[in-house]
Amino acid sequence: MLVSLNWLKEYVNIKQSPYDFGECLTMSGTKVETLTIVSDVISDIYTGKIIKIDRHPNADKLVVCTVDLGTDKRIIVTAAKNIYEGAIVPVAVDGAVIANGTKLGVSDFRGIESFGMFCSIEELGMNTDLFSKEIMEGIYLLPEGTPIGMDIKELLWLDDVIIDVELTANRADCQSIIGIARESAATLNLPMEGFKTYSKVETNNEIVQYLNVTAESDLCERYIAKMLEVKKIEASPLWIQVKLLNSGVRPINNIVDVTNYVMLELGQPLHAFDYESLHSDRIVIKTTNDKEMVTLDAKERVLDSSMLMITNGITPVAIAGIMGGENSEITEATQQIILESACFNKSSVRLTAKKLGLRTEASARFEKGVDPELAMVAAMRATWLLEEIGACEVIEGLIDVYHHPVVSKKISLDVAWVNGFIGINLSESEMAALLRRLFFKVSSENSGILEIEVPSFRQDIEAREDLAEEVARIFGYDNIPSTIMGGTTMIGGKTAVQKYEDDLKSLLVGQGYFETLTTSFTSEKRLLGLNSPMPLDLVPLINPLGEENSIMRPSLVGHQLEVISLNYARKNPFGRFFEFSNTYRKNEAKDSLPYEEKKLVLSTYGNEDYFELKGMVELLCAHTGIKNPSFIAGGSEFLHPGRRALIYANDVVLGEIGEIHPLVVKNYELPKRTYVCEISFTALYESGTMEEKFVELPKFPGSNRDLAIQLKETIPAALVNDIIRKNGGNILESIELFDVYTGEQIPEGYKSLAYALNFRHQERTLNDDDINPVVEHILAELKSLLNAQLRE
Amino acid sequence: MELELKQLRDRCIADLNDVNELKILDNVRIKYLGKKGELTIALKGMGKLSKEERPIIGKLANEVREEIEKALSHQKQVLEKKEIDARIKEEVIDVSLPGKKHLAGRLHPLTTTINELKEIFLGMGFSIAEGPEIEWAKYNFDFLNVPLDHSARDFQDTFYYEDDIVLRTQTSPVQVRVMENQKPPLRIISPGRVYRSDAIDATHSPVFHQMEGLVIDKGITMSDLKGTMDMFAKKLFGEQTKTKFRPHQFYFTEPSAEMDVTCFKCGGVGCKVCSNTGWIEILGCGMVHPNVLKICGIDPDVYSGFAFGMGLDRITMIKYGINDLRLLFENDLRFLSQFK
Ligand SMILES: [Zn+2]
Repeated sequence: MLVSLNWLKEYVNIKQSPYDFGECLTMSGTKVETLTIVSDVISDIYTGKIIKIDRHPNADKLVVCTVDLGTDKRIIVTAAKNIYEGAIVPVAVDGAVIANGTKLGVSDFRGIESFGMFCSIEELGMNTDLFSKEIMEGIYLLPEGTPIGMDIKELLWLDDVIIDVELTANRADCQSIIGIARESAATLNLPMEGFKTYSKVETNNEIVQYLNVTAESDLCERYIAKMLEVKKIEASPLWIQVKLLNSGVRPINNIVDVTNYVMLELGQPLHAFDYESLHSDRIVIKTTNDKEMVTLDAKERVLDSSMLMITNGITPVAIAGIMGGENSEITEATQQIILESACFNKSSVRLTAKKLGLRTEASARFEKGVDPELAMVAAMRATWLLEEIGACEVIEGLIDVYHHPVVSKKISLDVAWVNGFIGINLSESEMAALLRRLFFKVSSENSGILEIEVPSFRQDIEAREDLAEEVARIFGYDNIPSTIMGGTTMIGGKTAVQKYEDDLKSLLVGQGYFETLTTSFTSEKRLLGLNSPMPLDLVPLINPLGEENSIMRPSLVGHQLEVISLNYARKNPFGRFFEFSNTYRKNEAKDSLPYEEKKLVLSTYGNEDYFELKGMVELLCAHTGIKNPSFIAGGSEFLHPGRRALIYANDVVLGEIGEIHPLVVKNYELPKRTYVCEISFTALYESGTMEEKFVELPKFPGSNRDLAIQLKETIPAALVNDIIRKNGGNILESIELFDVYTGEQIPEGYKSLAYALNFRHQERTLNDDDINPVVEHILAELKSLLNAQLRE
Repeated sequence: MELELKQLRDRCIADLNDVNELKILDNVRIKYLGKKGELTIALKGMGKLSKEERPIIGKLANEVREEIEKALSHQKQVLEKKEIDARIKEEVIDVSLPGKKHLAGRLHPLTTTINELKEIFLGMGFSIAEGPEIEWAKYNFDFLNVPLDHSARDFQDTFYYEDDIVLRTQTSPVQVRVMENQKPPLRIISPGRVYRSDAIDATHSPVFHQMEGLVIDKGITMSDLKGTMDMFAKKLFGEQTKTKFRPHQFYFTEPSAEMDVTCFKCGGVGCKVCSNTGWIEILGCGMVHPNVLKICGIDPDVYSGFAFGMGLDRITMIKYGINDLRLLFENDLRFLSQFK
């Protein structure tokens, strides 16, 4: 929200520099984002009156003006069209600087010297968006009666500092000059000025001859109507216009400007209707079945029956709290106006504004919540202003529909509790004084309990904790001491599974793997690239950000392939990646959240092969305490059918590993050989034993036997391994496959596997009589089960 | 005989001096000292000597043997050294050639940040709590005191799976779950992935990461919150770091604050990192709202506590000077390999 410092100073006598003031406000809870001077470049521009306009003897398009600057009269040559004799305009004299930084001198215009120039709003450095095209393109004409010879900066508040404040959601009361003024006064511990309102004691209730008001919906919390007779619709006086401009609001005419002025000043949105075009003597506030209406901005709006409307009993004339209708707009011809100062339900305004896609200054304020008590003050303030500037005469009487007046909240506050909760030590009177600065009514009788009446504009204050915050922030968060927590000593620390995950990450990093970070979203289109059947238990989002992010990922593989694709495209020659992340699956059970399963994915490309990756998985298993994981041919369709395996720890499937299918390689634009492995983190953790016990080093030598075994090529080595292990008895310490051979001396369709078996006994040295029978038994089993021969 | 032995000795030494290869050195030894060697044969002739001559010649023969053996051993050393010298000469390498590549991977910088934060809080007796990312709307909003009509619940802000199930927009639901299921005293942190419906750009992502913390015990005060957060900031950014608490508003806490730290880059004088303010906004915090305590079955008249939360992606970017959030999710190796 933009706040004019000059305007603020009309209420609070702020003496600090703008920067220091901004710091104070920030530290008491009104965060100042930026401080900007309206127009900080310009200098030496004054108001001047054009006394005489003569034609230029040598140029048709130029005129020669005699200008009265109060202190002197001078000649200024101009091509401007919108000037006239008697006009008061901004004059940049020679030596002046205009907004674009140009410094003016004396110029010769076809033989006549010009001692300055007239300025447009752009040359003054004002916000051109806030003016009509007509005003923007010509010389900025100042109202009649503007003093001559006055520094334009002072006159138009161009030296004003605009404070951009970020308001928190709960402080609806701060959406106004008066709200920020209250915070400023409390922060700086200064008194606050009041403001004038219409306070005539009225004797005739004239308004009832024109109007009655009915609120048929509770969504209208209060509706005040005041009627005025229009004297003249014209531009507002400059002092109103500059305040609007410095608040970022476009001046329109005196009546509309006053409604905006009061909204900016007090935070109460107001609306003015043309009484005649109401075509009715009543206002009914209700929801209707109307399908459309044209709003003030000449746009057709689609309505529905949830929207609260201001009607003339039959036809809507405004969308409550958002925008008036074109049908009841103030025009040049308007003779009487109805001034609406109302309070509408904040949720209703929010939802309607959202449906219409129409957020206005008014709706923004109603959405946050406007104090119903403010409506009357604002109506009286606007009435006073309209009378004061000569725009209207008051029609006596007032309509106030207010079914459920707000009751002021009362809270008892235990001084000791506040001190204890915040960690400070204020006396009862100190605490009372802090709260009074914030306009709380505080009664204090030295009982340790403050009885507090909350002002109606503080709708956010509900409990003692809210008051504790008020005390703390005015006392100053900076003044609260910093202490070390007392209470129970706690050990804390990581759980076993948290430690385990960190361990695996270190292990992977040590082996050259890079951790990736990918988002949780995928989509049917992205999943199609995996050439696999679409899972039936996907978790789609109702409101995703685009199709490509519409599903919570069921697997981490797709994202790894995208990572590799990106790195490959960027000419990174090789890579090893991993990620621990959740995957998501639908849960059919009632009243249940979807399943979330943490998985570990590994992927490699460039100078890699299946066995490199498998070796990493084996290392992970060994690290986890999984003794003999098995890799059994099979797996998902995105993997190469001849180069994929399911990974088992005993009977539990841990995951799968393999080379990416050539078709998927094409879909993702991957390097030809890409490898991936996805493992359930939970299954992996639960299959392991984390116990680490010392085993004594062997005391007796081991004995080695090499066996070369010839068998059909299609038989997996794992099967041979299993048979050897199963029949090796308890003296078989280890098995290592050290060679796989096909070719010369081996028949077509056969292979030779060379194993080194190591035998050892814990209590004695083994001899041939111990080992030979075992080896023979192994060979016999291999022959009978696999028809495998020993090669001599 | 005496002369014969001396000549034999001289011949042998001359032979030895002629040897220039270690492997033929043994031939000389065999020629003189072997079973059929010259010295052996010569000694066999001792039997012909007189009784008087025998000890004299015997002594001489031993001296000759010792001399030969000594010479042999000496020559062996000389030759060994020569051979080693030759080998060393041959084996000279260009030590300036590059070493063989040992590739270490790296943790993602976000993980490194999380690890650093975890260590700080684990050291203060906190535990790490986790919870679902797809969460009941009531845990994400209602129990956290977010008003029913608040715009954070809108489709524009929050991802929905079902009408009452959302992608959590903060890790605070984890705190609610902990408060519901465990009795105070509590000290937990909950790092994790959160979601908001923001289009991706240099500073926003629909998927991002937060770490929140919660302390509940008897007699926890706002000054404890300040002290704890101040200590955290000093541990993360260095002993010289100063903190500033500004009042703010969160539904979950009352009173609430935002904490700024002095810019670690410029030390507070103002630079690009801190947009010339000297301060960097780092976290939101506050005293746990009594409504939240009550919903979780904790009596606010007995217990109090504080909570804090920070954006991990943002802290990572600040820490490493990363200028675009999208880099964190892109996983280009040239990016990933920059961080230790
Ligand atoms: Zn800095």
